Amino acid sequence: MSSDSVSNLMKGHMESLAAEGKRADGRSINEFRNVSIETGMINTAEGSALVHLGKTKILCGIKLLIGTPYGDSPGSGTMTTTAELAPLADQSFDPGPPREQSIELARVVDRGIRESRMIDFDALCIEHGEKVWMVFIDLYILDNNGNLFDCCTLAAAAALANAKIPNVQHGVADEDVDLPVTCWPISCTFGKLGDKVILDPTSDEESVMSARFTVAHDENGNLRAAQKGMNGAFTDAEVREAVKTARKSDNVLREALKGI
Amino acid sequence: MSGESKNNKNSENSKGFVLPGDLLETKSKPGKGIFRKDGRVYSSVVGYSNDRSGYVNVNAIKGRYTPKVGDKVVAVCAETGPSVWRMNIGSAFNSTLHHSESGWKVPFGDTARFLAIGDAVWAEVFMVDAAGTHQISLKKDDCRKLYSGTVVQVEPTAVPRVIGKQGSMITAIREKTNTRIQIGQNGFIWIDGKGEDISKAQKALETIDREASSEGLTKKIEKLLEK
Amino acid sequence: MAGQTDMELIKDGIRLDGRKPDELREVKITAGVLDNADGSCYLEWGNNKVYAGVFGPMECHPRHKQKADRAIVQARYTMAPFSVNDRKRPGLDRRSSEISYIASQAFEKVVMVEEFPKASIRVDMQVVEAHAGTRCAAITAASVALADAGIPMRDMIPACASGKVNDIVVLDLNKEEDNYGQADLPLAIIPSTGEVVLLQLDGHLSPEQFEEAMDLATSGCMDLYKIMRDALDKSYGGKK
Repeated sequence: MSSDSVSNLMKGHMESLAAEGKRADGRSINEFRNVSIETGMINTAEGSALVHLGKTKILCGIKLLIGTPYGDSPGSGTMTTTAELAPLADQSFDPGPPREQSIELARVVDRGIRESRMIDFDALCIEHGEKVWMVFIDLYILDNNGNLFDCCTLAAAAALANAKIPNVQHGVADEDVDLPVTCWPISCTFGKLGDKVILDPTSDEESVMSARFTVAHDENGNLRAAQKGMNGAFTDAEVREAVKTARKSDNVLREALKGI
Repeated sequence: MSGESKNNKNSENSKGFVLPGDLLETKSKPGKGIFRKDGRVYSSVVGYSNDRSGYVNVNAIKGRYTPKVGDKVVAVCAETGPSVWRMNIGSAFNSTLHHSESGWKVPFGDTARFLAIGDAVWAEVFMVDAAGTHQISLKKDDCRKLYSGTVVQVEPTAVPRVIGKQGSMITAIREKTNTRIQIGQNGFIWIDGKGEDISKAQKALETIDREASSEGLTKKIEKLLEK
Repeated sequence: MAGQTDMELIKDGIRLDGRKPDELREVKITAGVLDNADGSCYLEWGNNKVYAGVFGPMECHPRHKQKADRAIVQARYTMAPFSVNDRKRPGLDRRSSEISYIASQAFEKVVMVEEFPKASIRVDMQVVEAHAGTRCAAITAASVALADAGIPMRDMIPACASGKVNDIVVLDLNKEEDNYGQADLPLAIIPSTGEVVLLQLDGHLSPEQFEEAMDLATSGCMDLYKIMRDALDKSYGGKK
């Protein structure tokens, strides 16, 4: 349903289902929707991935270009993340300059990737102080059925894992090498529905939930990034419980990532 | 490029399946989903042509709901005004529910107390004017505000399949899931019952919506409901 | 057009990618690929990859753009940053704005806009990989998406370009031919009437070459039209 046709009745129905540990689509409250990942389909990109999480569909392209390093890190490559809420993904995505929603999305995904040290930035140095590789992570939302955060983080991770440094094209070396990735962040997003906490909300659930919490872990079970959103609140216990749940539930996304 | 190449195209398509611009060989009067040009009738949508009772229609596979007087619909309040509510019925524009058609005594400016944004009603389309604006009413038959259950959405074009031949499909769903279901012609459907039963009915409806034009649907739904 | 005609783009009637002068690149079309959009299409044309999505008819925003007696078509064409080798900055540029504008006008000719006064039909075309001929790919995909959405139309609009390389008129330029060739002529037509709803020319054509290029692009459009029809038949023609 489009966000402006979601009824208050749906809210009550979802809350009463959640109280029994269930969801409108038959999942339990801590279950991810079906996930599928395809990689390498965009020839003009150095890495690419198309991820389906339920009906949410996101395309991520990685471009590597040569640029100058930042003054305070002359031996390191750089990384920039953008997220485009393509108008075809959702009736409410108006064309126009980036909205707060897309900026928050890009920044949260960026933090998850950056703080987990997924990319070895020092390995992206070509000439100290002069030339480094700049990594661009461009996320393209194609179909919004909720939980853009987790789907984007997964798409970005899959695309980076698939990426090659275009040495040959830029005359840097004789062969292209894989982009060195060292760590795999997986994010889990929760919503507060009534007084229950649900994992991986659909867009219907997003229209009725009161608060959102995203946490990213690396494969060693350490937290790398977190973000609370929307104007409701979680209890302290709920946050801690969600973090524990994330470490168990994110396995299914990790397995999907390993399988590419 | 002239109209001759047109006729070659039809023979490749499945029987009765037409695309926008396809010529319909007919002597019947034009109905819906068509347009006329130079005395001939053409399909304007992707769908199945239907030529009976003197009218030729094309039933579109997909499309937003077009309100017709007499249709029963489920509507969700999108806006409240001092003397009206603007209701989402899934058509191009929202419908208007005038306070005088609500059945309540609503003091001026107090509309939100009776029906707030997000509240749902079972209503009848009682007016569609020449400009295409439309109004709904709660004063007919069993029209009323809905207080329990949930509202799900299917393509308006899937509604006949949801109902089934002489109501067979919807009756089966109601009985097997022990739920009350009211189907809006606009594709908005109200389901009431126990949480799990509603989910089961919802799943059946979504399956019909997804596979409305495929074979073996009835059997698939029967299996789903047995679980 | 860079127009460096020294490069041999066609030799003994065979182009760099092995095609003959009147051959179209491989086109694959799938209708109804997105769940949210009212209508959608995914199209691959050579290495071009485009998604198109349609919403509507719906209330026109911004209000001041609405027309009292008909709907307007608001088309938007954008290219993903990773769709080209030299990454493109996100957002609309002048080229995308121009294509968006002429696409809106092409669609308004076939969509039965008079049936929906004051409404808007939103068409979004997203190029995710580009290899020349993207505006034709986008418009073709959008036409299928409009039909997929159930928007009443008089016909769909296939769009195809012809051009000139090494003084030979050819159909459907690829990237090298677009960069180093001598002319590029994108064309969109209404198949049932032959009317031209989009035409642009970039380069140099003699009057005879122009006639030849028009014929070639038109026949390319008709071949494309069949592929568009087959895609919709595949997605929806199942019921007997």
